[in-house]
Amino acid sequence: MSLRQKLLLLFSLTVAAAVAAVAWTVLVRIRLVFEQRDQQETALFVSQFQREFQHRSAEVAAAVDRTAASERMRVLALELAQSGDASPYLNEAQTLAQDAQLDFFEIVGPDGKIVSSAQWPARFGYPEPAATAAAATFLKREELPDGTTALGIFAVRAVRRGESAAEPPVRLVGGKRLDQGFLADLPVAPGMQICLYSDAGLNQNPEVSVTEAAPSATASSPTPFDPRHLVGAYGEVASAARYQTLIDAARQSGQPASGILYLTDRREDSVSATAIPLKDGSGNVLAVLTVTISRAGMVQAQQHIRAIAYGVAAAGILFAILCSLWIAARVSRPIERLAAAAEEVAGGNWETRVPEGGRDEVGVLARSFNHMTAQLASQRERLVQTERVAAWRELARRLAHELKNPLFPLQLTVENLARARQLPEAEFDEVFRESTATLGMEIANLKTIIGRFSDFSKMPKPELERIDARDAIERVRSLYEAAGDQDAAKIRFEVQLSAQSMPLDADPELLHRAMSNLVLNAMDAMPEGGTLTLSAQP
Amino acid sequence: MALPASARTRPHYGGTLRVEVEGDAWQRNAGLARRLVLDGLTRLDAEGTAQPALADSWATESGNHLWQFGLRPGVHFHDGSALTSTAVVASLTAACGASCPWTAVRAVGSSVVFTGDSPMPNLPALLAGDNYLIALTESWSASTAGGVTPPNVKGTGPFQFTELNNGKLILAANDSCWQGRPFVDKIEIAGHKSIRDQWLDLSVGRADLVEVPAEQLRQAREQHLTVAVSPPVELLALAVADGGILANPNLRAAIALAVDRGALSNVIFQKQGEIAASLLPSALTGYSFLFSADRDLNKARELRGGLTPPPLTISTDGGAAMQLAAQRIALNLREAGFNVQVADPGRPQFTDLVLLRLTLASNHPRAGLESLLRAVGVATPVQESDPAGLYRVEREFLDTHTLIPLLYLPRAYAASGRVRDLRLGPDGAPLLAGVSLEDAP
Repeated sequence: MSLRQKLLLLFSLTVAAAVAAVAWTVLVRIRLVFEQRDQQETALFVSQFQREFQHRSAEVAAAVDRTAASERMRVLALELAQSGDASPYLNEAQTLAQDAQLDFFEIVGPDGKIVSSAQWPARFGYPEPAATAAAATFLKREELPDGTTALGIFAVRAVRRGESAAEPPVRLVGGKRLDQGFLADLPVAPGMQICLYSDAGLNQNPEVSVTEAAPSATASSPTPFDPRHLVGAYGEVASAARYQTLIDAARQSGQPASGILYLTDRREDSVSATAIPLKDGSGNVLAVLTVTISRAGMVQAQQHIRAIAYGVAAAGILFAILCSLWIAARVSRPIERLAAAAEEVAGGNWETRVPEGGRDEVGVLARSFNHMTAQLASQRERLVQTERVAAWRELARRLAHELKNPLFPLQLTVENLARARQLPEAEFDEVFRESTATLGMEIANLKTIIGRFSDFSKMPKPELERIDARDAIERVRSLYEAAGDQDAAKIRFEVQLSAQSMPLDADPELLHRAMSNLVLNAMDAMPEGGTLTLSAQP
Repeated sequence: MALPASARTRPHYGGTLRVEVEGDAWQRNAGLARRLVLDGLTRLDAEGTAQPALADSWATESGNHLWQFGLRPGVHFHDGSALTSTAVVASLTAACGASCPWTAVRAVGSSVVFTGDSPMPNLPALLAGDNYLIALTESWSASTAGGVTPPNVKGTGPFQFTELNNGKLILAANDSCWQGRPFVDKIEIAGHKSIRDQWLDLSVGRADLVEVPAEQLRQAREQHLTVAVSPPVELLALAVADGGILANPNLRAAIALAVDRGALSNVIFQKQGEIAASLLPSALTGYSFLFSADRDLNKARELRGGLTPPPLTISTDGGAAMQLAAQRIALNLREAGFNVQVADPGRPQFTDLVLLRLTLASNHPRAGLESLLRAVGVATPVQESDPAGLYRVEREFLDTHTLIPLLYLPRAYAASGRVRDLRLGPDGAPLLAGVSLEDAP
């Protein structure tokens, strides 16, 4: 990864992390504020609900009180006590309920059995355990003829007949429904929804409920959650099934339960919900009041802030890119040029130079680099000069060595020829012929040596091509192996080559000449014969 | 059974009698208008014996397999056409179709001949019933096709239709009635009036004759209404479906044992009913005590045998008291472990239990029993005439527990002070042809 990329990544991460941290902090703070507000509104509503509940209870109690104190009821109680015949009063409760504006009304005889029932007229003669309730008002689930139950606030009053208190009185059990009409009367804040869940379904155990209809008997075994039993102020509640967890928790624990409910898959449709159990006098949960406050405002605020954060992060990353480009222009680009120049130097181009701009560390580095390459070039020049001198010296030494060898025979021949002047003509001619032959041969040898040096000085420009080194070696061996066999001192050639091809970029003629020189030199160096080994390895 | 006659001893002709009823005045069994417009071949007297009406004589042959009824001469329909045996046969065929007690009916001269695959010992009494009243076929077809109370049915009764005005049926006296002209000139029958409205109209003088349900008889007397009450003529019974889970006879027997007849009689029907466990009332047979009407909840639970039947439904087409009785029965059955719901009266549907009222068409035991059995779909003729035989027939039928007798109820009417000589027939229907008005000219 290049420095530029590292800088870009570093800047981007820094900006993104900073924005994320700020956004997260703001989001958490908003959530806390909204939750605090929801808690306050829920608490306020609960207190209002309790007041309304007490008010409704007081209304029920007052209505039952008025009815119990009426002359009509006193006469009814008296006649009932005297005759013991409850049949004439079968429809009395319905009339009284209408007069008292009560939803539930039952007249219960001294024997504890229903004389007349407004909500279920056919229940006459059955016991009504609620008639002996100790509480002034209480919550009760009332069974209805259609098999459903209804939740209501009830009050029980005894009808005074002016007789002995020891005699069991006629009692009135009156009540009002706690239903969606009641919910509609409750003041709710904007975004708040009030729902009531009660087990108003079909009675699962009719035999028990009719004959032993104690209030706790039907409430002690909560039925499975049924979304249809959750009603709001304006009827059925959408996504009622989502309330199950919260309502079940309140029903089972008997304590309020709170949580966040997601009514749909959209976060905007989530609500902050509180389930408040409503209990009868025995502590059994008869219904659950749910208070939900929409989290749409909070979610929208969070989404708004999140959108801003995304925008800021994007702008920050863009800024980071620009910064990294600028910094790259100021810092990384000279370094990159230095790196490229160093690679060129490594490749042999010692004349490479980098621009020397600025007074910062990069500028110093560039100047030092240029100085270093200049020094290197200078030292190389001196080294080349030294090597050249050494080469000329070696060349002169070898030339002298090469020339000295034929000169010595030439000298001896000339001296011999000079001495031969003293000899007879025939012998002189013989010596002359031999001497001229020797001189010619040695002069030819000198020409050869000089030609070789001439060829060396005229070193042609190599023409490179891809050859196999094995072929070049084989060519040399085949050329000189026969000569080796003809020599008196027999030279045996031994070739050690790899089985694999050994490609090589070289001028084939120059390479052949070089290797031929080496072989000839070697053969020259082995006057006693021996083994000349040619080997090459990839 | 009859209202006391006022000081004026001789009835006067004329006037309009205003009658209000809760149901349809033209309906069978309880509709007042039908019996005023139409006559049967026979009629029942106070003892339940068949008496001549449109037929003045009859004879049986072949062991009650063949009956020949001679038509009364000189009888005319309201449009002036003569009553003929052909018209009678056409009317009877159109009226009852395949559910007739006879196999074939044909006109032979001025006689009508009935033949049956099985003996028809009670045919004269059965022919007095609402189902076999005689009307002109053309008018009958027109009346039944529309499904509404027809203003154009032509019969031979003491009154004839004149118009149907705003739900009020107006009948005019038939001057040429074979029984003689009725006393009142006109009868106005307003149907579909609630009992409360009827009583209000009676109290303010807008009605002369109104209905008094059995459960409100005590209230009517407390209000000092002039009431004519029949003997117990309506059988309140619970019909139990013989299918599904109730195909189990033990469950049907459990239902019969779980119903609290006492509560129905004493409270809902305000002690005006007569507890019944048999089809015929005790006054007719004397053996009713042999059928137990006691409630035995433990035995009912035992017969249920721990079974938890699926939810059952009960329905009734009656008024508020019948609905209340149905609710009470549902409550009784829930005690025995049956989950019973009362069906919505406004939504007709099949129900497992039906609370119904059956009219005892004849107070002749054998004919009455056969008419009741026919009313619940049992077409077997009752041939036994002795109490032991009748008891056996009843016992065999009731042991199936597809019909559970509960109460016998009377029918009652309250009349204004201008109505005199009001009498109720053996089926509890008012005999308006004999009624006259006090203030008639």
